[in-house]
Amino acid sequence: MTSHETALDLAEPSQVKWRQCAVTAGRIGLAALLLGAWKLGADAAGPVYAADPIKVLQRIVSDTASGSLLRHIYVTLRLSAIGFAIGCACGIALPFLLRRMPRLTNAVEPYIMASVGVPKYALVPLFILWFGIDDAPKLWLVGLLVFYPIFIAVFAGIRNVDRRLIDMARVAGASEAMISREVIWNSLLPFFFAALKIALPRAVSAAIIGEFLVGNEGLGYMIESSRQSFDTTGVFTGIVVATALVLVINAALVRIDRRLNAWRPVERHMEV
Amino acid sequence: MAVPPLLEVRDLSKRFATRAGRDPSSWVIQQLSFSVHDGEFLTIIGPSGSGKTTLLNMLAQIDSASDGEVRFQSVTAPINDPKALNPGLSCKIGYVTQEDNLLPWRTTLENVLFPLTVQGRLNEQTRARAQMLIGAVGLTGFEKHYPHELSGGMRKRASLIRTLVYDPPVILMDEPFGALDAQTRTQLQEDLLRLWNLGRKTIVFVTHDITEAIALGDRTLVLSKSPARIAGEHRNAIPRPRDIRGIMTHQDFPALYQSIRAQVQ
Amino acid sequence: MATWERVDGRARTRQAGGSLRSRGDQLLALVILLAIWQGLSFVYGTYWVGSPWGVATRLASSVLSGEILRHASYTLIEAVAGFLIGAIPAVGLPFALRRLPIVTAILDPFMVGGYGAPKLALAPLFILWFGIGIESKIALVAITVFFIVYFSALAGVRALDAKLVQMAQVMGANERDVARHIVFPGAVPYIFTGLRIAMPYSIGGAVIAELISANRGLGYLIQLSAMNFDTTGVFAALVATTCIVFMGNCSVDAAERRLLRWRPPPELNMQAGS
Repeated sequence: MTSHETALDLAEPSQVKWRQCAVTAGRIGLAALLLGAWKLGADAAGPVYAADPIKVLQRIVSDTASGSLLRHIYVTLRLSAIGFAIGCACGIALPFLLRRMPRLTNAVEPYIMASVGVPKYALVPLFILWFGIDDAPKLWLVGLLVFYPIFIAVFAGIRNVDRRLIDMARVAGASEAMISREVIWNSLLPFFFAALKIALPRAVSAAIIGEFLVGNEGLGYMIESSRQSFDTTGVFTGIVVATALVLVINAALVRIDRRLNAWRPVERHMEV
Repeated sequence: MAVPPLLEVRDLSKRFATRAGRDPSSWVIQQLSFSVHDGEFLTIIGPSGSGKTTLLNMLAQIDSASDGEVRFQSVTAPINDPKALNPGLSCKIGYVTQEDNLLPWRTTLENVLFPLTVQGRLNEQTRARAQMLIGAVGLTGFEKHYPHELSGGMRKRASLIRTLVYDPPVILMDEPFGALDAQTRTQLQEDLLRLWNLGRKTIVFVTHDITEAIALGDRTLVLSKSPARIAGEHRNAIPRPRDIRGIMTHQDFPALYQSIRAQVQ
Repeated sequence: MATWERVDGRARTRQAGGSLRSRGDQLLALVILLAIWQGLSFVYGTYWVGSPWGVATRLASSVLSGEILRHASYTLIEAVAGFLIGAIPAVGLPFALRRLPIVTAILDPFMVGGYGAPKLALAPLFILWFGIGIESKIALVAITVFFIVYFSALAGVRALDAKLVQMAQVMGANERDVARHIVFPGAVPYIFTGLRIAMPYSIGGAVIAELISANRGLGYLIQLSAMNFDTTGVFAALVATTCIVFMGNCSVDAAERRLLRWRPPPELNMQAGS
């Protein structure tokens, strides 16, 4: 990029506006194109392989009216929420506990890090074996998937706390609990929020995939059972709703994050 | 017999693009005119912020000019139109920038060979030339090192010979020895003069150090503060080869120094 | 140079001192963990929990008979093929669109949406389309990997140092030279970050798809063993899966070490300061 192009960045407002209009128009155009392609693809591929978007819309409406869609969504979200709470609590508590026992932490750390490599979804059949076919194996799945990013973030955050702040607090007579609360917790807050943004959508995804494998309710169940009964429209409906759900949660998180961290001038990129 | 100057600058002016709604920014360079002759070592002095780098950027055709003309070998260069810029003027103008701008993913040798690779001139002769230059600036043994493994001075030297290796007729230099310690600087000044002597290239050398300008140049131009113009021109008759380390003891030095100093604000 | 030796030397001595003790602790911890497992197997029975010894022997026999290697290679092929099919366009697209920032801007919300959407939820759809064979798994892995690597590659292309481009242009580089010698090498570290993140997702995706519906692969093996109440088999397959993930990590590390030799190590950056 020669500097004359940098000069273009300092473009006049009319040029900038034109660009933004072009971009927005392009986006709308692309969205329309994709929807059109979906319709054409559905017509071409037939009802077995693809579902007509209009039929999907109709199914969404009818399922909402009958209440079954809302029920599925509720079940999935409840599962995600409970699993998230458990995973989060453990992910936060464990590093703080380990903080008091550095020797134990050091001894166990390689195994914890190695366990990150185990694909948690692969454990679901085991969980089903152990915990039955109700919510329990799914809760374990969600809990684990939430636990790891939170644990790693809090753990790293605690490690990275400025030693001097802790020493200073100790000298001032603060108790261990107070140090934990004031100094450490506030220091690791940005790390924690970054992990939260990852963990929350993951919780919902995990619930859905858990429902692929076990259970008789929830969005995942809806998708998988539709597939097994060759109800392609049902499959598409479920996927559309699930995707929309996760995207909405993502967007909400971004907005909340922005508002909570609006006062932070610098620390935007707490990527763990 | 009057030989036309190799590089001619006439009424060169530059101001930067402004954001809409603000007053037009002031001129960085205004009606700057000078010429450079073939085989000449021209030094340019000016206070910091006087647009020295901008001037070199325009000569190298990285930046466009708001007004004025640059002629190279009697052909006008297209510097008024940002889209028509021809950086380096098809490899006729080399440019040693202030930052070394070495490619971090290439070893020293690969960096020095880079212009040859890009120009498709990589062969036995040019490789030998590269090796010779590496030896000339004392980088032998560091050919396989990556830039992060070299000290600042070594990177500077590599950047210098990277331009020398493809032998452009004109070389622009933007305070190349500015950030170095005195020892390395003197050594490199000597190396530069020695290499320049071999080929009698045309060099336009920008510096803020008056002693360096006198030690190296045939002629010294002084730039005024913004908006920059030529504040003065000083011929340097100190005979070559020059003793860089002892330049200050030369009889012509004090007068030259004073007259230049007086013009640099 | 001397400064760097000092930094290195200090770091090395710090390691040497406490290393022996901490290694001993870690070994002890491993023994204790295995003992706990063995203890649990006595309490609950190997039927429910498997035992370290049982799993080890099962793994050994399975490797010798070639069974687990067959399934592992199937999963590995899915992961690798999907990874390549997903990663190559993901790297190519930002490069192709380098000079068309408007197109990149238009695509952005779609890419962000694709990145945020749960790709694994598409598993049943791909199984519907491609059957329970290898293709559905490859498709799932590919689409998961694509979005991850796309953003890393995009960041890499955007992180272009304009000064380096100018320098190259003065030396006579044309557009292709710039792309080849400046843009691409500069983007490689970013791309690697994306590859590193995407790698476990590729194996995970393959396994998940196999869990839902397959007739070969480690995920299938896990599901089959679980349905037969063969806990030892489940654990053995889990260990094999983890091994593959580990191997994948090592490969990415090795590739990174080779291709990114030129990167200054983090400590040096802090030392250099200016």
